[in-house]
Amino acid sequence: MISCTEFIPAYSELFKYIEQKGDKKAVVDFWNYLSDKFLTNLKDLVAINGIRGCWIYWSKTLEEEAADFTMELDEEAGEFSITMHHCPSKGKLVEYKHIEPYHDYCEHCDVLYRRVLEPLGLKYELDRSQTDQARCQLSVKLKKE
Amino acid sequence: MSKQTITQKTSDNQYYHKDFHIALNFGIDYLHRNFGEEAVRAYLTQFASVYYSPLIEAISEKGLLAIKEHYENIYEIEKAVFDMSFSQDKLIIQLSASPAVVHIKANGHTVSELFHETVSTVNKIICRNTPYDFELLEYNNSNGAYRLRFFRRDE
Repeated sequence: MISCTEFIPAYSELFKYIEQKGDKKAVVDFWNYLSDKFLTNLKDLVAINGIRGCWIYWSKTLEEEAADFTMELDEEAGEFSITMHHCPSKGKLVEYKHIEPYHDYCEHCDVLYRRVLEPLGLKYELDRSQTDQARCQLSVKLKKE
Repeated sequence: MSKQTITQKTSDNQYYHKDFHIALNFGIDYLHRNFGEEAVRAYLTQFASVYYSPLIEAISEKGLLAIKEHYENIYEIEKAVFDMSFSQDKLIIQLSASPAVVHIKANGHTVSELFHETVSTVNKIICRNTPYDFELLEYNNSNGAYRLRFFRRDE
């Protein structure tokens, strides 16, 4: 049995395996599939609660992932953000001495969430410039009419 | 309309995100549908060879005790109900229900036809280059319950 606490290395190795079998596009195809199938809860929460749905979704997932983060919601301005001080997933992959993370590991967060949020009228941005230190900045804004 | 901010530290919470079981299930199913049955085994072989290399090393030092300790730790994290019978040359593990399968089904998802490979292929690979072998004695597709046997390979 693979524990859910062992998922991140399994996920990273899955990206590597799919790329070996195909190419980078095959990996992105898998991320699109996973976004459609797995993130239905985020989609539903945002459809019902608007941008607050992001707050509800990430409150649960980041708590369960024991992340080190600051999360902000300004409903009036239509803005939501996460400053990830230490990403538990990338952090684990960097810590493991016997595992080489998939080269574009953090890109999955860009593809999966963008695909859910942008069709719902939100602008999604992910600053991945510091992911080598397990840090990133996620921002979601209501698209102005 | 309100403004809210929250800051949390890693030490504030326990790392236990059960929905990762659902994501792994989708990964297994995707590989099966797009690359075939053998790809699922090849992927799990690659993953297990790399990820469990410290466990495989520990088996050469501590024997089956290393596997026993590994699964005791996993089952404790996953709050699984299990039973073990252990001797120097044989380890039998009985899992009443797989927390992964139970969680996947409880959230309305179909368990991949090859999800059992996360047990059979992974344990085969853990034992592959050790003096021990592995056999999946029973597997219940409905809840992922299983009975495993690890044993010393004949010289």
